[in-house]
Amino acid sequence: MLLPLLLRPSLCSPHASAFLSRCDAARTLRSQTELFLRRTLPLRFQSRGTKSRGRKTREQDWKTRNKTVLTYVAAAGVGMIGLSYASVPLYRLYCQAAGLGGTAVAGHDTDLVETMKPVKERVLKVTFNADTHASMQWNFRPQQSEIFVVPGETALAFYRAKNPTDKPIIGISTYNVVPFEAGQYFNKIQCFCFEEQRLNPHEEVDMPVFFYIDPEFDDDPRMARVSTITLSYTFFEAKEGEKLPLPGYSYN
Amino acid sequence: MSTAMNFGSKAFKPRAPDKGSFPLDHLGECKGFKEKFMKCLRDNNHDNSLCRLQSKDYLECRMDNQLMAKEPMEKLGFGDLVDAPPGQADKDAEP
Repeated sequence: MLLPLLLRPSLCSPHASAFLSRCDAARTLRSQTELFLRRTLPLRFQSRGTKSRGRKTREQDWKTRNKTVLTYVAAAGVGMIGLSYASVPLYRLYCQAAGLGGTAVAGHDTDLVETMKPVKERVLKVTFNADTHASMQWNFRPQQSEIFVVPGETALAFYRAKNPTDKPIIGISTYNVVPFEAGQYFNKIQCFCFEEQRLNPHEEVDMPVFFYIDPEFDDDPRMARVSTITLSYTFFEAKEGEKLPLPGYSYN
Repeated sequence: MSTAMNFGSKAFKPRAPDKGSFPLDHLGECKGFKEKFMKCLRDNNHDNSLCRLQSKDYLECRMDNQLMAKEPMEKLGFGDLVDAPPGQADKDAEP
């Protein structure tokens, strides 16, 4: 900025008449720059005021922005906690609607057995499997390898258990149905599971399972390819005085 | 089998039977009916539909010998095999 000031005086002096206007211009320019410089000094003082004012508003801006961000984050956190609490009943509702994990399907009651109509076109093969726990000394096996049933028809099947030892053994069993999705349609009217069964030494008994497959099995598109269901029972040895929590049973 | 690793929607949840557990037939009182039923199954290629009469007889034997709670056969799904005329069967079916 000082450069034009240095150049102008050299232009000014030699050719006075021709460059009079330019000199005048240079002078006015110089005065203007001096004024400007003078103005810059107070401006510097002034600018501190405006800058501080600007800084203040900027800080205020940041503060308000921080506050809103914090509010949003806190709201999201509270929302997540609320969702985790609400997920338990919501998941249960979803399971009942979708029938996942073998949970009870709505409308499953004993009147269904009376009124259900067998779906004769859909023949299903039910195979039987018997297992015992390693420490359980019973001989446990099914009496039929398979049985052909139709949904909506009650069926009977037998297992046989023998106690080959010299002391009475109390067993308790649980069952499993494969494929898992078909398990929700597999309804047992009566069986020998979940309760203690005592076998005296060298005793052999027949254990029946009375079951039916829900007629809605035929309507389920997920079951369209299922034609074999496997029912598997496993016997464990029950210790004296031990109470197992039984699914669906309430102790009154 | 449902193992601990098989977590997710495929977990199986066993359900208790509707009418509870059968008491064990220690004395073998219904063994004859059971044998008839098994023979019927073997003869008919393991078709349950053809052996329902035998299974009904077995359950009736159990009921007679205090091995099963007495219930009308219609409630067990044998409504079409009951000998009573349809009018009386409907009366029996009513709770």
